[in-house]
Amino acid sequence: MIKKLFDWLRQPLGLIAVGIAFLALFSLAAYGIHYTQQAPAQPVQFPHKTHVAFGIQCLYCHPGAARGPAAGIPAESKCWGCHNQIAKTQTSALLAPLKDSVLSGTPLQWVPVAQVPDFVQFNHRAHIAAGQNCENCHGDMSKVTVAENPQIFNMGFCLNCHKKVAGDDHVKLVKLTDCGTCHY
Amino acid sequence: MIDLKVTEIKMGEEHVGKWGMVIDQDMCTGCQACVAACAMENNITFVGEKDSGYGRSMHWIRIERFWQGEYPEIKMTPNQPMMCQQCGSATCEPVCPAFATVHSQAEQLNLQVYNRCVGTRYCANNCPYQVRSFNWRDYKRPEPLANQFNPDVTVRRRGVMEKCTFCIQRIHKAEDKAKSEGREVVDGEFTTACAQACPATAITFGRVDDPESLVSQLARRHGHGVKHLEELGTLPNVTYFKGG
Repeated sequence: MIKKLFDWLRQPLGLIAVGIAFLALFSLAAYGIHYTQQAPAQPVQFPHKTHVAFGIQCLYCHPGAARGPAAGIPAESKCWGCHNQIAKTQTSALLAPLKDSVLSGTPLQWVPVAQVPDFVQFNHRAHIAAGQNCENCHGDMSKVTVAENPQIFNMGFCLNCHKKVAGDDHVKLVKLTDCGTCHY
Repeated sequence: MIDLKVTEIKMGEEHVGKWGMVIDQDMCTGCQACVAACAMENNITFVGEKDSGYGRSMHWIRIERFWQGEYPEIKMTPNQPMMCQQCGSATCEPVCPAFATVHSQAEQLNLQVYNRCVGTRYCANNCPYQVRSFNWRDYKRPEPLANQFNPDVTVRRRGVMEKCTFCIQRIHKAEDKAKSEGREVVDGEFTTACAQACPATAITFGRVDDPESLVSQLARRHGHGVKHLEELGTLPNVTYFKGG
């Protein structure tokens, strides 16, 4: 039975079939890798670079970063605070979801982009208080349109910085590399 | 004849942890409020009737009760809340092949790192207090209960060991708040979920390395505190009082 199959595969038609199967698997894998690198679809094509160019601070829309664990994603009411005074909001097709959301009272379902797994307890406040700027982890937002991750937030990324910050201070190093600081 | 030499050496060792607990068994009424509060605070799942029958019920704290004497003349001994004793020299730690249960040098606690745990259950088998519980399944929560997860605590998945953390999320929260206000954590500023829920104030939590903290004062006042299975050399951080 198996011998028959191998004989069939050795003939030209069989070799072509093997080639096609290999190509299909390869392109599926390539698509899979490509797919994981895509920023998720957002309800509004929010241009970070435009807002940064207007001089709006990160903490204006994400104030939680300075106060607590989560930076927060603003509700449409915060957008509307400025946008209801901008004439373009009424006409732009890109801003139509925002207008609809405010008028109908249904919140915008933003998709969080920078996330850590459930078993990691991240606190923004401590990092801002330690003098880290947003762009150290989130990249230069004056260059991106829809938010995307400049790097994968894995443990190596966190620990590299923690070790660098602690330097020769042993007490700080113990605290910053302790499992219980982030995992509980 | 048991050779007690090893025990004697360990007993002489001076050990001061960081966080500790004092439990007054005379105060404890066995109301199980601490058990409920702990389950709510730490996202502990409800295993249900069937798995509970297999001995797979999950608690980070439990009320132990013992009795003395033969059947008609039974005398109850005081209720004994039992949770992870956060040993200074823990028996669970050296046996973990994945280094998932490690000692926190910063907080002097026994940690359980869920993402490292591969579920060998060796630590639970080696724990003399039997306080570790294992996630045998992904237990689903009925709908309204799924909304009460504590966001500060990991929701553990199947195949992971877990145990009392001395509410490390509250420790971190208090430390974070104190740091943002530029001060040290004040004794009594926060407490664990079990101590907070206890209506009889049988459980007290605080810094054992601070002689002025309430736990240290209580330990001094009673003076006859017992650390469970101390003879094993585990150096536990929970002190029990009874018969005072």
